[in-house]
Amino acid sequence: MDDGLPLLKGTLDLLVLKTLSWGPLHGYAIATWLEERSEGTLGVDDSALYQALQRMEGRGLLAAEWGTTDNNRRARYYKLTAAGRRRLREESATWMRYTQSVSSILSLASRTV
Amino acid sequence: MSPQRDRDRDAFRAGVRRLFKLPLFTRAAARADADAELDAFLAERIDRLVLSGLTPADARAEALRRLGSPEGDARLVLRRSAQRRQRHQWLRQAAADLREDLRIAVRRFAHSPAFTATALLTLAFGIGANTAIFSAVHGLLLAPLAFPNGNRIVMPMQENDRYRGDSRFERRNMAGALIEAWQQRTHTVEDIAAASEDMFSLDADGTIDTLTSAVVTVNFLPMLGVEPLVGRGFSPGDVVRHGPPNVAVISEALWRQSYAGRSDIVGRTVTLDGRPLAIIGVAPAGLNIPLSHKTPPDMWVPGALTDAVDGGTGSLDISPSVFALLRPGVSVDVASRELESIAAGVPHAAGLGGRLRVMRAQDFVNAGETRALEVLFAAVGALLLTACATVANLLLARAWTRQREFAIRGALGAGRRRLARQVLTESMSLALAGGLLGIGVAGLTLRVIVALRPPGLDRLADVHIEPAVLLWTLVVSVLTGLSFGCAPAFFAGLHPVGDVLRREMRGGSAGVISRRVRSTLVVLQIAASLALLVASGLLVRSFAALQRMPLGFEPRGLLYADVLIAGTREQRGTIRDEIIRHLQSLRDVTGVSIGVMPGKGWLGGGVEAEIDPEGHTADVPALGTIMMSPGYLRVARIPLLAGRLPDSTSFSSLGPAGWSSEVLVNRALARRLWPAGRAIGAHLREKPFPGRPPAPWSTVVGVTSDTRIPGESGDVAAYQVYTIDRLVSEVPFVVRTTMSGDDAAPIVKRAITAVDPHIFARPILSGDTYLRDGLAPTRFAMSLLTAFGVVALALAAIGLSGVIAYSVSQRTREIGIRLALGADPSRVVRHVVSGGLGLVALGIALGAAAALAATRALSSMLYGVGAADPPTFVAIALLVGAIALVASYVPARRALRIDPAETLRAD
Repeated sequence: MDDGLPLLKGTLDLLVLKTLSWGPLHGYAIATWLEERSEGTLGVDDSALYQALQRMEGRGLLAAEWGTTDNNRRARYYKLTAAGRRRLREESATWMRYTQSVSSILSLASRTV
Repeated sequence: MSPQRDRDRDAFRAGVRRLFKLPLFTRAAARADADAELDAFLAERIDRLVLSGLTPADARAEALRRLGSPEGDARLVLRRSAQRRQRHQWLRQAAADLREDLRIAVRRFAHSPAFTATALLTLAFGIGANTAIFSAVHGLLLAPLAFPNGNRIVMPMQENDRYRGDSRFERRNMAGALIEAWQQRTHTVEDIAAASEDMFSLDADGTIDTLTSAVVTVNFLPMLGVEPLVGRGFSPGDVVRHGPPNVAVISEALWRQSYAGRSDIVGRTVTLDGRPLAIIGVAPAGLNIPLSHKTPPDMWVPGALTDAVDGGTGSLDISPSVFALLRPGVSVDVASRELESIAAGVPHAAGLGGRLRVMRAQDFVNAGETRALEVLFAAVGALLLTACATVANLLLARAWTRQREFAIRGALGAGRRRLARQVLTESMSLALAGGLLGIGVAGLTLRVIVALRPPGLDRLADVHIEPAVLLWTLVVSVLTGLSFGCAPAFFAGLHPVGDVLRREMRGGSAGVISRRVRSTLVVLQIAASLALLVASGLLVRSFAALQRMPLGFEPRGLLYADVLIAGTREQRGTIRDEIIRHLQSLRDVTGVSIGVMPGKGWLGGGVEAEIDPEGHTADVPALGTIMMSPGYLRVARIPLLAGRLPDSTSFSSLGPAGWSSEVLVNRALARRLWPAGRAIGAHLREKPFPGRPPAPWSTVVGVTSDTRIPGESGDVAAYQVYTIDRLVSEVPFVVRTTMSGDDAAPIVKRAITAVDPHIFARPILSGDTYLRDGLAPTRFAMSLLTAFGVVALALAAIGLSGVIAYSVSQRTREIGIRLALGADPSRVVRHVVSGGLGLVALGIALGAAAALAATRALSSMLYGVGAADPPTFVAIALLVGAIALVASYVPARRALRIDPAETLRAD
């Protein structure tokens, strides 16, 4: 990870879940979607993304089936399972609380400096 | 792992899977999947990069850079998860299929509740009864004695020709010299110990209890491999020569019951027969070494071996059991031969001179019970056979209809594998459900068996369901279900669909196969149930005969109490007379005398008799001696056949040992010694111990009738000599009451202890109990066999009526046409039934043959009825025939309700 922000642990999973919340996507589409939304600041390399996908599929958060891409290639399309959807809701709430508390601490710290 | 080896393994696995028709998922397939996914990803990225202006080569390099890890690693990760995924998917699919199949199966079962209930109950009963019986047999016959060296312990005994095979009368006393010779010279035996049983009264904190105890040599417990739970075992210093023991090891059961398992038990002093005794240890549970009693001892006290065998009055009584520990790997036969050859060089001292026999202690425990269990074993096997046959029959009956269903489903495109799986699921679920119910039935059956158990099989109470046995019966039932459940699927796959559907219009060949199989099964069932019922019928008749058997005395209302009286001869005499007075004063008591319950007396050494005026003598090796007072014959109701009672003062001329100068003999002994009938006036005496002066001669003054032991189908209990009581320290009393003996026992016990609370009376035996216990083994076998027989017959009837119903449904058209052409309906029914009757006749013939073979094994349990008793055979055959007739008539009547017009229109 030489470019962009270092990724907080667990964030990638959450982002992938978020990405898939609009509908099924194949691996490359997920990668580009993340890159575009984060304007390149996320800096996830592809194998890390794939490990996350496999991990989440193993835990039943995602399901996948073979389909065809726009360029007529066979690729696996990942989609959220019910469990994945639930996880996304819980994680986002936690994440929000976490970021709020971190930023409020940071703003306090910047005032006392 | 080389790629070549990977490929080979994949190929092999694929082959195996194809062989067993398992879904083809290989590592190779998973790998291809994973690679395809990564390739697609990279290709998409490269496309995009090329679009943004990179050369394909640069684009590829960039795409790989963005992977962030070497391409090989990324591929590996993907491949691994792809393989995992595939496995999961396969399992999920299988589970879903199973659920689906189960749903269909349950729905089908719900559609035919009668079929399902019958099949389930049949299986449950077959499996349950089997499991219970096999568990019992396993626990009793196959499990070694429950202590470490249990299966290496043997018991050398001397056989007594007259009582061969009867453990009650097989003398087991060994000459001390013989045991010593064995100990010095044996190479097959590690150790030899002796034990004999005794009864003591234990006075623990004021309550007096009667204990079974064993006097044992010091090496006895270590030889069995037993370590005390608490405290210590015996050491040589514990043996008291010529005196009562002063230390004891108690059983775990006694420790728990009387001392609540308190750890401070060691060192406690208890009062045993009025003498103090220190408890030095507790033996672990499961020390079920058999002595003469069937119950394991409550207490062990140390004794010396030499006292045991010289006929002296040491701490071991005159007839100890001898136990030897085989060296590991030595067989009983080898040890037996060696001990015999050593014995051949030792002059027997107090032996009977009978053949030496070495038995496994295990076999000794089960002596006499093995036969009953074997019979049960065979019976339950027959029951399992009928149960399986019934289920097979039911499933085959469905096969026909299923065949059509499968043919249609096949025509509609269901794969053969799918259909086979469906059938498999149905049969398996039926078999397993039956098996589960069977576990419940097994528990109940075992409880019933334990409740009914004969007294000799007390150890049955410890029997529990053996998991291995349960598994075995489950497997049997599953196999039954499978083999017959798959038949329709097999047939369905065998014939093209059109064939099956066409054949159904005409009634055809697969039907013939299944009908033959079913007919065979019905014949088997009828045969098995007939054999079972014949066996139970014979036992019922034996039981009735045993109940009527002339015993030569009257046990009902007779009580027998053994009382130990201490003190000098005069003191003992006073106490004895006091007890008699007390007992006579009881209401409902009509007679009291000295003497034992017939058959419970002491069986001792031989007799020497003058058999003719020339003074020739003859020996009888062993006989029973009954000490009595003259009233004994009247109280026990033993008829005096000839002569007179002995003079009760005839002892005065003798010392305290030996027989009175006038004695009675029983008829068996009189006939053996004086076949010409000159018993009265003849002389006889006890065979003296070697090295002792001979006893004085006694004169026979009367002959009594023979007595028999209740429930023993053998002949007379023993040769008997009745001698006048000589006031030994152990006095047997018999009491005749007008109450039932069970009610009178506590009253008698109280009357005895009222004389002196410290008097020790052994447990009182009532003649009613004696009679009941004697008949119990026969009653036990009879009840179980009858129950099995009835169940088997019911199953056979179900099977038969199924076959007839099926043949009626097969011949609907034929019957319809016959009726339409004016055939007499009753003749049509007869015609249908006659097919069934052929099967019945065949089954009865086979069953009779099987019963003849089987009842021979029963013959030792039979009394007053031959193993091939014609009335029993005929009666049972008629019963089975009648039931079979009803079973075939009921479905046959359906033929009468056939409307000819309907059947003709149906085609």
